[in-house]
Amino acid sequence: MARTASPARLVIALSVAAVLAVFLLYTSIAGGGNPSLAPSELAGRSGDVQLAGLVVGPVAGHAHAGGLTFLLRDIGEKSGKAVSVRYAGSVPDLFKVGRHIVVDGRLRNGTFVAEPGSMITKCPSKYAPKQSGDPA
Amino acid sequence: MAELGRAALVVSLGLCVYALVAGAVAAHLGRRRLALSAQNALLAAFGSTLVASAVLLSALLRNDFSFTYVASTTSEALPTAYTISAFWGGQEGSLLLWLLVLTGFAAAAVRLNRGWARDLIVWVVPVFGAVATFFAFLLVAVANPFATQAAPVDGLGMTPSLQNPYMLAHPPLLYLGYVGLTVPFAFAMGALISGRTDERWLVATRRWTLVAWTALGIGQLLGAHWAYEEVGWGGYYAWDPVENAALMPWLAATAFLHSVMIQEKRGMLRIWNVLLVLLAFSLSLFGTFLTRSGVVNSIHSFTQSSIGPWFLAFIGVVVTVSLSLVFWRLPKLRSPTRLESPISREAAFLYNNLLLLALCLTIFWGVVYPLLSEAIRGEAVVLGREYYDFFLRAFGLPLLLLMGIGPLIAWRRASLRSLLTTFRWPTGVALVTGVFLLALGAGSSVPGLIAYTFAAFVIATIILEFTRGTRARKALGATSWPGAFSSLISRNRRRYGGYVVHAAIVLLAIGVAGSSAFDTVAEAKLERGQSMEVGDYRLEYRTLDERIAANATEIRAELAVSRGDRDLGTLEAGKNAYTIEDQVSNEVGIRSDPLTGEDLFVIAEQIDADGTVYFRVFVKPLVNLIWIAGLVFLLGALITLWPDAREQRRLVERTREIGVPATR
Repeated sequence: MARTASPARLVIALSVAAVLAVFLLYTSIAGGGNPSLAPSELAGRSGDVQLAGLVVGPVAGHAHAGGLTFLLRDIGEKSGKAVSVRYAGSVPDLFKVGRHIVVDGRLRNGTFVAEPGSMITKCPSKYAPKQSGDPA
Repeated sequence: MAELGRAALVVSLGLCVYALVAGAVAAHLGRRRLALSAQNALLAAFGSTLVASAVLLSALLRNDFSFTYVASTTSEALPTAYTISAFWGGQEGSLLLWLLVLTGFAAAAVRLNRGWARDLIVWVVPVFGAVATFFAFLLVAVANPFATQAAPVDGLGMTPSLQNPYMLAHPPLLYLGYVGLTVPFAFAMGALISGRTDERWLVATRRWTLVAWTALGIGQLLGAHWAYEEVGWGGYYAWDPVENAALMPWLAATAFLHSVMIQEKRGMLRIWNVLLVLLAFSLSLFGTFLTRSGVVNSIHSFTQSSIGPWFLAFIGVVVTVSLSLVFWRLPKLRSPTRLESPISREAAFLYNNLLLLALCLTIFWGVVYPLLSEAIRGEAVVLGREYYDFFLRAFGLPLLLLMGIGPLIAWRRASLRSLLTTFRWPTGVALVTGVFLLALGAGSSVPGLIAYTFAAFVIATIILEFTRGTRARKALGATSWPGAFSSLISRNRRRYGGYVVHAAIVLLAIGVAGSSAFDTVAEAKLERGQSMEVGDYRLEYRTLDERIAANATEIRAELAVSRGDRDLGTLEAGKNAYTIEDQVSNEVGIRSDPLTGEDLFVIAEQIDADGTVYFRVFVKPLVNLIWIAGLVFLLGALITLWPDAREQRRLVERTREIGVPATR
């Protein structure tokens, strides 16, 4: 059956084109997101990244005066290389040694300098028990 | 007792398999008695799942720690309400709840519709059987809620942040929504297999879809409110993958609820509707996969477990089989009518659908982007808040505008001149609002200004519709104005309930735009007696108190709030230190203005030993409209859902006219 051109197809084609145009606009303006890395993958990176890791002590300094410093290690690793992080701004309730956190920022002279206020902690919204392997 | 629960689950699995196999054989061969027994098997599966659930619930209430599940989710000291909520707190229990609701919905939906759509129902039963078999199998073989152990002295208890009234309602509402989407899916597939691709499956499932959609919407708003008051970072939605997991099926279901109207009225979009139902159902499964498999980084860390791959495989099977069915039935899905003009009600609904879908898919893209980029470039790239905010504006603002245009534009073909007449008043109202807000300084955020202008437009169209309709009812002989108003609504609940839901979405948009585009934030380190200013508020830090409560030490800073020379009383913000859990939580201070809907939101970020406090203060205009929107949304949904025998008869008659083949 020969189908004559229908406005429905035109409408759909135009809409798809519009969506693609918006996508192109977005990627050209905002660029992509940031890579998400573990502390062990950080060496040699100079751009903005998102760093996810396990807080290992000691936590020193003041979040609203000079910044908080602590070490961050790969999640799931018992030992291994930890990177030192300096962070200023709001500290989530759950932040402490042994928690998993995510911060944005970049590596400067061997220290990861986090963007102020970028820290999020993983909220322990699990009713299930701590696994015996988990840190405290 | 655990043996009873486990046995009941095995029986459930057997019954689900029977409903699948016997139902399919009966439908294929046209055996009426066998088909009836398959239907009864679904009902019986609900019964045996109910027994299993009762066993688990009683174990929870008895604090029977010989059940591994009970011991790992509760403790002696946990209040009863939270002990009950532990039923859906863990993975095994939530799967059990899923199966319980699924078999219950399936049995009810089949029973309610088998009288008038028998030839369709015979194939719906095996589809329900297949989905229920998957969950029953998981419960029997992979995630057994009835595992036992030597009873420990006490259970491990529940995370303090979850011991919260919101957590009693938020998770089960989301589950109701996820499971409810199975009903339209099963009927759509039943319609495809049986070849009865007319509009009956839509009529049969409309209320089920509405219930699921309402539950998902309210569940998400409750979660947002909990985050706003309890988590206390000053926001309510963070575009977290787990939050998005609930938003995506809601958006797909919203698109479906609109496009079914086009199919009911004009017989169009048949393929599209089947695809939307498939998408909504797959996304609800995908949400569970996302939360349980731990494949993406989320601030919600649920128990990660082995059921992730099972869900992924099931999604794969569902999508493959459903798409093959659609492809097989393509000739039957061709619409008898087609779009006549790009300016018509049908076209407006189509644009609405495309925008909702585009929003849904960009969110999906954002969620899976880290996985894709890791697979392709070897490095997970996370798309941040800006990505989602950008697309919410790009697709959400046109959607807002369409919400005003769609319901008023003529079917089939509208002329530009008639558009001008119809929208004269709303456009005027919108322009005046825009100029007025610009004069007040709302130009600081262009998207915010556009959102408000569009919101004014939509509200004007809704008011116009209600006044026009009420006036017509009065003219037709209603005795009083309130009488005319209520008869207007009761004569077309669907339409006017829909307008109320639209009003709720407008309120939500105003609240979101106000609190995100026009908020103010200030931070200051204050000693006692010092003060700070935020917006036109002035806060003076007075005292710092420490109180010992039952399970926590509560530290509170008291602030005197004033605006201009008006004293607005005091506000407390501080922290709780939970002794046993060794955890500190922010307790924010919120002052809501009942007249303007504005919140003053105070976080005591850091409290030093010498009594200095580092405060972070937000002024969030109109944020309370978001919560009011939830109530209005519920009201609109209830109006639409209210049983209406007249409408049901009308729909059934219309499908009769299409022609129901002789039943076997």
